[in-house]
Amino acid sequence: MKLLRGLQYQLFLLPILFFYTIFTIYPLIKSFFFSLTNFNGYSKEYDFVGLANYLKIFKDTAIMSGISYTLLFAISTTVLTTLLAIVLALVLDRNFYTRNIHRAIFFFPSIPSGLILAYVWGFILSPIASGVLNSVLHDLFGMGPQPWLSEPFLAKLSTILVAVWAGAGWHAVLYLAFLQGISKDYYEAAAIDGATRFQQIRSITLPLLAPAMTISVMLLLTGGLKVFEIPFALTKGGPGFETHTITQVIVLRGISEVQFGLASAMSIVFFLIVLALTYFQVTVMQRREEKML
Amino acid sequence: MTESARKSWLLDILMLPVGLVTFFPFYLIIVNTLKSPVETAANPMSLPTKLNFDTYARVFKEIPLAQSFGNSLVITIVSVLLMVLIGAMAAYPIVFNPGKLNRVIMGYLLAGFLIPFQTTLIPLFELMTDFRLIDKLYGLIFIYMGGAVFVFFLMMGYMKTIPKELPEAAIIDGCTVGGIFWRIIFPLLKPITVTAIIYQTMWVWNDFLAPMLFLNSSDNATLVLQVYKAKGEFAVDWPLFMTLTVIVLIPIFIFFILMQKQIVKGIVGGAVKG
Repeated sequence: MKLLRGLQYQLFLLPILFFYTIFTIYPLIKSFFFSLTNFNGYSKEYDFVGLANYLKIFKDTAIMSGISYTLLFAISTTVLTTLLAIVLALVLDRNFYTRNIHRAIFFFPSIPSGLILAYVWGFILSPIASGVLNSVLHDLFGMGPQPWLSEPFLAKLSTILVAVWAGAGWHAVLYLAFLQGISKDYYEAAAIDGATRFQQIRSITLPLLAPAMTISVMLLLTGGLKVFEIPFALTKGGPGFETHTITQVIVLRGISEVQFGLASAMSIVFFLIVLALTYFQVTVMQRREEKML
Repeated sequence: MTESARKSWLLDILMLPVGLVTFFPFYLIIVNTLKSPVETAANPMSLPTKLNFDTYARVFKEIPLAQSFGNSLVITIVSVLLMVLIGAMAAYPIVFNPGKLNRVIMGYLLAGFLIPFQTTLIPLFELMTDFRLIDKLYGLIFIYMGGAVFVFFLMMGYMKTIPKELPEAAIIDGCTVGGIFWRIIFPLLKPITVTAIIYQTMWVWNDFLAPMLFLNSSDNATLVLQVYKAKGEFAVDWPLFMTLTVIVLIPIFIFFILMQKQIVKGIVGGAVKG
């Protein structure tokens, strides 16, 4: 009777185990397997090549450029979005007349698809003199047209800033929820002791936001490493390979050029990068949480 | 906060330019949908001199929007509901029938969090080709089922707060294991179900990478994919492209207005659990 009931419980696991095993675990194992072969997707004959594909990664300019840009993107969007989101959350927590309108305005960019938002920014950042940003800068400061999306440094900067614009409001709302959970008693006690507003923020608010920060930074970092849409829509990965993301390189080498072995090695390396960075970030920040409390 | 009772105009004035800059892209696309291409090219930022709805008519003629909207809707609704269902089902034995085996299964499922979609992409592409699932709406829905792991995680956290006595009492009353789940447990999961639905809806509705790789005919395109295709075709026709963007943003804007409270609560609920 008890055994039968146990079995009835276990039946509820079957659907998820079926889909997850076929569409996540099996491809993961196969990715690892492909990465050790010279399989090209067409011919059923292939050889084991050991770690040759992994060594090829370092000689492939597109891949190396993809790794360095993706790391730059993930780290700078994480830092900038976090700074902006905390400041925004502190402001939006205060009482002012247009607070709700501002909350909605900042939050809205995180609702639509990044691809669509980036296309809209593509129009604003158009490199021609009559482009929106270029004409604004010309009218205000007499600046000449800037190639916002076609010069390596500017293209990197533009893609990063558009991503920050799209994500800051969402993360501000996350911080805001934690801010509202902080008891007013702390501030009142601090005010009685003569702490200034700035001191209150530094010694009460920021330490108590530490758990929110661990989550927000983890989401930003993993999201940043997996980025695809925004740079793809703004620059198509160019100029050259300057703003190619790891995802775009995997699609390019794997799906478009059917170099399954090389692209699989790349995707396994990507897996390890995500794993290592997330583990490192969460451990460091949790230790910081403990120290602050 | 201590001073929060006092409203001041200072923050309103300080925030005004910041808010305007943030909102600017949306202003820009809306005004340009109402202009002629000549007017857009001459002065993209100005308000239209006279309202011109021709572009809207043109977009509906050039692009099969109703069909793409339907595709997005079917893909999103079916995959989100399935994810919620199988995620909640999976959490049930893990929480209410604990044991060594189920601890292992839990670890196996949670490992899914750490596996980026990109890492499984190439074998998935081969798998989808072999099973002839490319360019099929249900093929894409299968792909999204991997996301059920996140729902499972949310559901498991929430289910742990349900008292164990509840199903035990029901068993004594002669309720079956299945009956307990469908009649008692599942209805209790409503708050976390809302969170899960919001997260997964925003992900699936907005996703671009998977539809780009696994749907190729225009008949099966999602709204986001249709925008991508239009960018290639009508790249220089900015008013047409922006009108398309505005139309595509309308459903998600309505979703935002209607669900604003739940979205915010959902994000926080998911993040606190995560």
